[in-house]
Amino acid sequence: MSFRQTIKSMAEVYCREFKLVLHDAGILIFFMLLPTIYPIIYSTIYNPEIVKNVPVVVIDNDRTPLSRDLVRNLNACDQAWVIGYAANLSEAQRAMHEKKCYAILEIPEGFNRKVGNNEQGNTVLYCDMGLLLRYRGFVMATTNLMEHYGSTLLTEKIDNILPLAETVITGDPLPIHNISMGNIRSGFDSFIMPGVLMLILQQSIILALGMAGGARRENPALTGYSSYNVAPSVLQTMIAQSLCYITILLVQIIFIVHYVPLIFKFPMMGNTLEIFAFIIPFIFASFGLGYTIQAFVTERESIFVIWVVTSLIFLLLSGLIWPLYDLDPVWKTLSSICPSTWAVEGYVKMNANGASLAQVSECYRNLWLVALGWWFTGWCVRKWIVRPQLMRIHKSVISR
Amino acid sequence: MSYDLRDKTGILPIALRSCIQLFRRPIYWFGIFFLPLFMFLFLTSMFEKGLPTRVPAAIVDRDGSPLSREVTQNLASMQMVDFTHDADSFSEARHLMQQGNIYGFFLIPEDFQADLLAGKKPEITFYTNMTYFVPGTMLFKAFKLSATYTKADVAANVANSLGADASTLTPMMMPVQIQTRGLGNPGLNYGIYLANSFVPCTLQLMILLITCFSIGQEIKYRTSIHLMKMADGSVVKAIFGKLLPQTVIWFFIAIFMTSWLFKYNHYPMNGSWGWLILSQLLFVMACQGFALFFISVLPNLRLSLSACALLGILSFSIAAFSFPVESMYGAIGIFSYMVPVRYNFLIYIDQALNGIDIAYSKMYYIAYIIFILFPFTVLWKLKKNLLNPVNVP
Repeated sequence: MSFRQTIKSMAEVYCREFKLVLHDAGILIFFMLLPTIYPIIYSTIYNPEIVKNVPVVVIDNDRTPLSRDLVRNLNACDQAWVIGYAANLSEAQRAMHEKKCYAILEIPEGFNRKVGNNEQGNTVLYCDMGLLLRYRGFVMATTNLMEHYGSTLLTEKIDNILPLAETVITGDPLPIHNISMGNIRSGFDSFIMPGVLMLILQQSIILALGMAGGARRENPALTGYSSYNVAPSVLQTMIAQSLCYITILLVQIIFIVHYVPLIFKFPMMGNTLEIFAFIIPFIFASFGLGYTIQAFVTERESIFVIWVVTSLIFLLLSGLIWPLYDLDPVWKTLSSICPSTWAVEGYVKMNANGASLAQVSECYRNLWLVALGWWFTGWCVRKWIVRPQLMRIHKSVISR
Repeated sequence: MSYDLRDKTGILPIALRSCIQLFRRPIYWFGIFFLPLFMFLFLTSMFEKGLPTRVPAAIVDRDGSPLSREVTQNLASMQMVDFTHDADSFSEARHLMQQGNIYGFFLIPEDFQADLLAGKKPEITFYTNMTYFVPGTMLFKAFKLSATYTKADVAANVANSLGADASTLTPMMMPVQIQTRGLGNPGLNYGIYLANSFVPCTLQLMILLITCFSIGQEIKYRTSIHLMKMADGSVVKAIFGKLLPQTVIWFFIAIFMTSWLFKYNHYPMNGSWGWLILSQLLFVMACQGFALFFISVLPNLRLSLSACALLGILSFSIAAFSFPVESMYGAIGIFSYMVPVRYNFLIYIDQALNGIDIAYSKMYYIAYIIFILFPFTVLWKLKKNLLNPVNVP
């Protein structure tokens, strides 16, 4: 086949595919609605970003200036909100069981005296463990409080034993600063969403491709069309179809990658052009995976049953929830063949931490490799499973 | 088929027919057995370790004095941190963080020791990458504690250099100690927290999809006319017979799930088994009712499957397993109470994790029952669809 003919037949596939997708509401939902609505819903759910003012009940058995000061300081922390005092543990427990509070601070008798005597004043904060985010806030707050008391009481102490020292040190002798990088407010939305955006993009593509594959293999009388692509080779068909899908998806890709972080004020440190360059192999890898999945989709709706739950697998394997360096070897291998793993890692580094494309070159290279691998399996599936079946359907339609 | 079902009527033949359908199509095997069981295994095995240890980090020692080396040694001895990389400057460490080699670093400034002894108050700064919550938070805690100890140590040194007896200062390293104790999950096991919410949510997703898919198939292939004939035109009978075998299978899977989580994996179980199992069984039916509602209200298979998939996946966030409802916007937070798995989660916290009195959770059981009964108000619409099936591709 000459070059001209090849281009011509690929253009035909492109046009036919375009018409097909535009006439199929199911595929359009995946291509248009899903990548537009999902990021907005998800980002809105987590948009408050920070868990603030989680209610705490205090049991103060000491009732001294220091214990009151401790409670005041805890209340002043962003994360905690002291809703009141309880007379004893069972009263406090009742408040916790009724979900009026999620933590109980117990200050023992003699707390002030112990601290005054150069001993350690021990208090206990009992936390409800239903949600880790609440507990995380409490840990941050108490760690900061302990450091605060460490420095103020220490300075007082030094001043007491060495009145002259005041000329040398006043206030905190060694200020400690903590700076959160990337996600500077330590917000939950900014933490989880950039990664989830990549997952949404991948899953939209695979669901749409799966459904398109299933629709082709169904009885044309049910779906209302015969979608047999006659002319070019398997690879050319795949390329032409991918180009068609990219045309349809272009606006959504730009929306997800650039505008959603902009609207919801996620950290955006990266170079936009470099990020788009990084996304390209990811899109192709997702197409490849989608073509491969077509082997298992014999009916358009089965893609829901087969594929929707995998979003969870991809999320957990992406390293967002559980860091990749500590993953079990079996799961690590599985995670390395998922396009989303590399895309999430690279995108988060670029978008939140401001890495350049060169700095995420490992992810970038792996994305191309994964794309190549999935295109190869996709090609095999098309060549030996999907196309022979399409031929049969086509023949039976013609003979009718 | 040895047993001819074609002219039989009643619930039992419908149930039998439904069993044969489930048995024949690989997709049901895949969706009912393989996927849920794989997910149970996957979710629990992934978090088997409880918490990631040895977070890769770096230390930037711009001082190189005996004091700064002491700080470095103290930090390196912490179990949570692993100093995998050395960096000579802030920008080098930042580059390492951007490349993902480390999750944070500890910066000791130039002339640290000299400034400190001269009372010039040098500052210690540590940086944590909060784009990864778990390692970031663990580093925060380790760094903060080390820095606090360093401070006490330093103060003692200063006092010493001024001629005071530093031994009076050492107990003051941490004058006020606040121990945080996680009730029911003292080891801060990530699996206990995540698997107990994600596993039932996966089950909910699969029940929604399979329920929707199996009823939708009847409409798509117009077999629903026959189904209604077998049920003598009663939609309740038809649906009951159709879903009964699935309910039984899901019951077994839900009970297996419960024992998998609380027996095999030893997740905390401080309450009564009876109430927990009851919760799981009602949960299965609540999910089926939820799906039934959508397939009745929405006109076609594709839309109802899309709705179930959307809600099933959205449940992982809207049911507030990680981000608390009271921190969400009010208008969004109320949706959290509109998915069955939310109640499963609340019952799990009350009954298994905290083991409190059942009276505190009774409302959640009532919510299940509402989910089960609610679709009966819209079944007439499904009846119309079953009698007059129209496939919209």
